[in-house]
Amino acid sequence: MAIQDFGTMMDRKRAGAMNGNKAARAAREAIYVACAAVAIAAFAFAFTDPFVVTLAGYTCAFALFALSINIILGGVGEVPLGQCLFFGVGAYGAAIGMGKLGLPFEVAVLIALVLSVVLAAIIGVITLRLTGAYFSIVSWGLTGVAMVAATNLEEITGGPLGLFGFPPIEIGPLQLSDPQTYFAVTATILLLAIVFLVALRRSPFGAAMDSVRQNPHLARSVGVDVARVRLKAFMLSAPFAALAGALAVPYTQIVTPEVFSVANTVDGLLMVLLGGAQLVVGPVIGAAMFTLIPQAMNLDPNVRILVFSSIIILIMMFAPGGLHQLGVALRDRLGRRTDDDRSR
Amino acid sequence: MELLAQTLVNGLVLGAGYAVIAVGLTLIFGIVGIANFAHGAFFAMGGYACYLLTSRGLNYFVAVPLSVLVVVIIGALTEWIVIRRSLYGDSHHGSLIVTFALGQAAVAGLILIFGPDPLPVTSPLGQSTMRFVGIFVTSQRAFIFGCSVLVLCALGLWLRLSIKGQQVVAVAQNARGALYSGINVPRIRTLAFVLGVAAAGLAGALLAPISTIYPTMGYSALIVGFTVVILGGMGSIPGAMLGALLIGVANALFETYVSVSWTPALGWGLVIATLLFRPQGLLGQVQQHRH
Repeated sequence: MAIQDFGTMMDRKRAGAMNGNKAARAAREAIYVACAAVAIAAFAFAFTDPFVVTLAGYTCAFALFALSINIILGGVGEVPLGQCLFFGVGAYGAAIGMGKLGLPFEVAVLIALVLSVVLAAIIGVITLRLTGAYFSIVSWGLTGVAMVAATNLEEITGGPLGLFGFPPIEIGPLQLSDPQTYFAVTATILLLAIVFLVALRRSPFGAAMDSVRQNPHLARSVGVDVARVRLKAFMLSAPFAALAGALAVPYTQIVTPEVFSVANTVDGLLMVLLGGAQLVVGPVIGAAMFTLIPQAMNLDPNVRILVFSSIIILIMMFAPGGLHQLGVALRDRLGRRTDDDRSR
Repeated sequence: MELLAQTLVNGLVLGAGYAVIAVGLTLIFGIVGIANFAHGAFFAMGGYACYLLTSRGLNYFVAVPLSVLVVVIIGALTEWIVIRRSLYGDSHHGSLIVTFALGQAAVAGLILIFGPDPLPVTSPLGQSTMRFVGIFVTSQRAFIFGCSVLVLCALGLWLRLSIKGQQVVAVAQNARGALYSGINVPRIRTLAFVLGVAAAGLAGALLAPISTIYPTMGYSALIVGFTVVILGGMGSIPGAMLGALLIGVANALFETYVSVSWTPALGWGLVIATLLFRPQGLLGQVQQHRH
């Protein structure tokens, strides 16, 4: 099964290279990106309700976190229950940088991003030799350690009460306290992240990640350095999560040890699984569903967790690739039926 | 000296409670081959079943076995409806996500039914203490210790002496070989899953009077369970017991002599050290390729 996957993947790559319609594809994708940019601008101008626009901005920030989770889940095939560690590093980095050190927001965020990559390198070297449940458990455990540390190191983190009361957050001339600007900034960053990840998935490194996920033994046998690819993917996922954490601060206005709670990772994981792990924009679709549907139906947060967890169980039982797989299966089935009809 | 002895006894009592949770986890991992992230939810269900029964006026000592029965029924239904179907899929992290989502759903359900606030469970042992050569133990803790030791011994004897128990051991060692020698492997897996969650339910019912019950009580139990199981070696039952006692005693010593607020991080420190220097755990076997 896995070997065949490998084969089809190689075939697809070869076919893509031989067709020579790269220019057409690039043009089509440029149109997609332009449409998305127009949609972002239109949304920012069309909606004036500050609550809706701020929530949309926060959703974009959280979708970035879901993308980070999906680099690990959809990329190398591990379940990163500890990804909120980097989310927390970003949030605390921004908060401590601004509140305690008086740095501008963007400088604080940059430092937090660098820190998250360094941390990911250290943690990755230790934990990535583990696979499956072991990796998930240990990475989850490390967030527990981070939460204890954030609660106890009161001089730096403000202890259990957390950090709050920041000066108005701005990136250069852009005031993030203004809902429209906040949304435009987070949505633009999200769009750039998606473009980057699409390019990444097409690169040789993306193919290497695919091979590591589908069959690490086979990947090693054809010369892929499995440990190195896993570590690189982990280090790559960390700054996305940290950036998401930092961009969430203008919305939450407070950073407490709770950012390291597994509940954050769960939200991100649900988004990824709802949208489908094998689609680059899957997590974004999931994030939109995860925020919009409960908002529209006015659901209690616990009902939301209950409903979405149950949906996840059903998806994993019947369509492990995510909801869009159902659509694909339906299309295949309908397609086959029409073929059958024709042959009859 | 007295303080040290008291601390060690506290640690052993704590460890006995951890052992029951961890043995259930390791049993499910060894036989069914999944890391049961819903274990904490079954722990909480044991506590809540005990609360429901005792608040209806039932004696605590009757309520504990009945709570275990409730958890057994829920566990068997879960196995039948969800675990069995999701486990044999080709996606190797499927079982992990499914059990995790199950746990989330159960916790959310408990919050919706009982509310997020802690609820008390009263035990007839109350706050009474026992004194034994200068060391104090509350009667409830002594009861927990006694029950845990009894259950663990019974499980050990059952695995060693009964035919079913030997079949369970056989499946753990080599599921395919067990299948070829005529053992009904799916039934043994069901049995192991139900036994494992029953242990979690028992631990929940036993610990309810000393910790009060709340919907997210399972998280800390799950985390402790996993630290113990990794420390002892995943799938190894003696390893789980040894790991539980080690972590219990280490936690008690750390709390007394170093710092209470940093104690939750200690278990993970031990786990990371274990994984760095002895990845298969203290008594675990070198991992075969299994997901």
